[in-house]
Amino acid sequence: MRIAGTVNDSIVDGPGLRFTVFTQGCPHACPGCHNPDTHDPQGGYDADTDDLIAKMKKNPLLDGLTLSGGEPFVQSAPCIVLAQAARAQGLNVWAYSGFTYEELLAHPDPQVQELLLLCDVLVDGRFELEQRSLELRFRGSRNQRLIDLPATRAAGQVVCWTPPVW
Amino acid sequence: MITMITKRDGRRVPFEQEKIETAIVKAFAASQSQKGQETARELADLVVKALESNENISATPTVEEVQDAVEAILIEKGFVRTAKAYILYRAERSRVREMNTRLMKTYEDIAFKDAADSDVKRENANINGDSAMGAMLKFGSEGAKQFYDIYVLNPKHAEAHRAGNIHIHDLDFLTLTTTCCQIDLLELFKDGFSTGHGVLREPQDIASYSALACIAIQANQNDQHGGQSIVNFDYGMAPGVRKTYQKRFRDNIARLLEAEHDVPDGTALARDMLEAVKAQTGLVPAMADDPAFHEALHKELSQHIPADAAERLLTLARRFSDREIIKATFQAMEALVHNLNTMNSRAGAQVPFSSINYGTDTSPEGRLVMEQLLLATEAGLGRGETPIFPIQIFRVKEGINYNPEDPNYDLFRLAIRTSAKRLFPNFSFLDAPYNLQYYKPGHPETEVSYMGCRTRVMGNAHDRNREVSPRRGNLSFTSINLPRIAIEAHGNVQWFFEELERMLDLVYEQLNERFEIIARKKVYNFPFLMGQHVWMDSETLNWDDEVREVLKHGTLTAGFIGLAEALVALRGKHHGQSEESQNLGLEIVGFMRSYLDRKSAETNLNYTLIATPAEGLSGRFVRIDRERYGVIPGVTDRDYYTNSFHIPVYFPINAFEKITLEGPYHALTNAGHITYVEMDGDPMHNLEAFEKIVRHMHDCGVGYGSINHPVDRDPVCGFNGIIGDTCPQCGRAEEEHQFERIRRITGYLVGTLDRFNNGKRAEERDRVKHALEDCSC
Repeated sequence: MRIAGTVNDSIVDGPGLRFTVFTQGCPHACPGCHNPDTHDPQGGYDADTDDLIAKMKKNPLLDGLTLSGGEPFVQSAPCIVLAQAARAQGLNVWAYSGFTYEELLAHPDPQVQELLLLCDVLVDGRFELEQRSLELRFRGSRNQRLIDLPATRAAGQVVCWTPPVW
Repeated sequence: MITMITKRDGRRVPFEQEKIETAIVKAFAASQSQKGQETARELADLVVKALESNENISATPTVEEVQDAVEAILIEKGFVRTAKAYILYRAERSRVREMNTRLMKTYEDIAFKDAADSDVKRENANINGDSAMGAMLKFGSEGAKQFYDIYVLNPKHAEAHRAGNIHIHDLDFLTLTTTCCQIDLLELFKDGFSTGHGVLREPQDIASYSALACIAIQANQNDQHGGQSIVNFDYGMAPGVRKTYQKRFRDNIARLLEAEHDVPDGTALARDMLEAVKAQTGLVPAMADDPAFHEALHKELSQHIPADAAERLLTLARRFSDREIIKATFQAMEALVHNLNTMNSRAGAQVPFSSINYGTDTSPEGRLVMEQLLLATEAGLGRGETPIFPIQIFRVKEGINYNPEDPNYDLFRLAIRTSAKRLFPNFSFLDAPYNLQYYKPGHPETEVSYMGCRTRVMGNAHDRNREVSPRRGNLSFTSINLPRIAIEAHGNVQWFFEELERMLDLVYEQLNERFEIIARKKVYNFPFLMGQHVWMDSETLNWDDEVREVLKHGTLTAGFIGLAEALVALRGKHHGQSEESQNLGLEIVGFMRSYLDRKSAETNLNYTLIATPAEGLSGRFVRIDRERYGVIPGVTDRDYYTNSFHIPVYFPINAFEKITLEGPYHALTNAGHITYVEMDGDPMHNLEAFEKIVRHMHDCGVGYGSINHPVDRDPVCGFNGIIGDTCPQCGRAEEEHQFERIRRITGYLVGTLDRFNNGKRAEERDRVKHALEDCSC
């Protein structure tokens, strides 16, 4: 798969300590994007999913895997491999996408649907500069949602993820 | 004819031949020559002639030229041994003179240079070297150091310190005092205490408890050169809450009686009733509402007002008192935090280096103290600034606050939330085996305490029955430059250990000589520490007794710098890079520890090993070594040596591995240790991650740990978080008003980067947040 890089022990891409994979290549190219270097599909470097999984396994403190980017849903196949490995390891899976949840549900590629089923939380929607806020947890602009996918499927409507109370 | 002579400083003064004669007479005496004044006069005549006939020498020769001529004449006339004595005398004189010149140069820097341009003035990050009192302190400190160097220290130790083999910490206090102390508030407050300008009665209210705690820290700090710590802040403050609650409850009963029932003197009636209840049941008003107390007081009240009115009055009094005690405790804790950040003590506008330990008191009063202290810390100072002091240390203990079912687990969580915003509290771990071995439930004095900087005092070879933290501290410590020995070993590990043992011998001897100086001091040299019985057993001494015996409860400590660089020099890799290096690292530190344990067993004194907190030192050793050995990659190629046993801050490693690798060294460093984890990002939004790291420290046998994360604040818009070049909230750049940037240096928080010395600045620049791994975004 084509990636921009990984972060071990990330604390900004979901709750707990996370292994974050930044996929390379993004069709959205939102103005003001935090990671503009990840837009070009020719950028970044090739990585082997086995290597990434090995790295993830080496860190027993992890709570979860985060698929970020870039746009992970344009590389659904290798992301599925990572997500399955994470779940097998007892980690939860978060994914960031510039597509909305509704757009992804309507997507014809069956692998997009399969990846969605493997995720616990989807942070959806494009980054919109005018809706930018620093006070939001784990997201950049107010239009984006932290969607609890299992709860959403069970309820038949979008249910947002609720952060733990301290 | 020579009539004038040119002195070293360029002044011309009348030439006196008698001075030459005197110097030669002294040289005769030193070489045990039979010759005397007469021969000296003849030789002096020859010297003058030689000077006058030398065409290269002007009519007013310099002192050096005169001395050269004396040497030449002595040798020419066969007084070879006398000439040697004369040369030695010259060399010694010129060393003293150089010292004086160097001292004067240092004084010149202190007087005329800004702290920004002078490492001497920034040596201690807590002192403002630009202020009048800060500069005065530096004059004293620099003068004292050079005086000890020439006249007090064993020349062998002075030389080892100068050459950078060892570092004698707090050298400016060599002849004066000891490092630090863990203050036991319960003991100190009993029957009150005196600061030398009047007596303070035993406090009766939480506000005075908090005020007196600050005064105790401030007063004791003037008797020692290091930090001051409170060993039992929760247990120590709880009686203050208890007393305040009693008073508030009584006052509320009194007011309600007057307001609602027209009792003329509610105060008297309330007092009488409460005394009666106490006489019958032994109970007093307390935060935990005892049904027996309630019933007894209700009975008393019912004699004066109807029973249902009595019930209502008790409910109201309870409600008001519960509300007031929270507020009173918050205000007392807020005052403590404000005081400890603003109350200057010692010269140089230093606030006391203060630390407080707490976490395990499960009484409602002790819990309230901790909760309100944490909330006051979270709220910050007057404009929301992060408090620099006190360093707070939250004691983590299974069964008390570590697991969700534990009574103080809520406080552990609050401590995490506070630390994620304010960098304090740090966390100490009573379950680490070497701490747990002392722990006796129900005996808070057996709970290990740390000084904020990391110092730990627990075992007691002097008195095995009192292996406790309160009322003890470190006496002095000296650190070994490990990379130096490793470089000189040229890969010969066997020689490395032999040389390390020689260095330990030297440090041992030096610690003993320093102890001998301080041991001869009297109680009156430490009017608060000893005079007010803060230090263990000082109550058994009279005002003019020697402190030798009681000092033996303290620790004499060896430390080390740069295990990582030493391992690179020995094996090419440090302990973060190779398992074999980690094995060797543990053997090196274990070797030092067993050496000191052996000395303790032989002498019944507490020789201990510390993972040195290296403020001024991290740059000094490497500077000297780079001059000596050049730039060695991975060893001398940075502006600092890595702290103690830490994995280098520039090395990318995840939190799990760092903690796992550093954990075992905590067990070996019985005089103190700390492990830091750098977090990339604002942990306030991810407390789960923060807790995970703290829990892993607990599981890896870490004794004391802390999580670093950037805490920046824009004083203009008030944003608190991470600020790069521009404030993310208001978008302004740094130009007009500087952003406040809080960082941790040797355990202490420092408000801006200005006061870091050069080694420390470089270290902060290189710190790798333990999240980043080949991330290109």
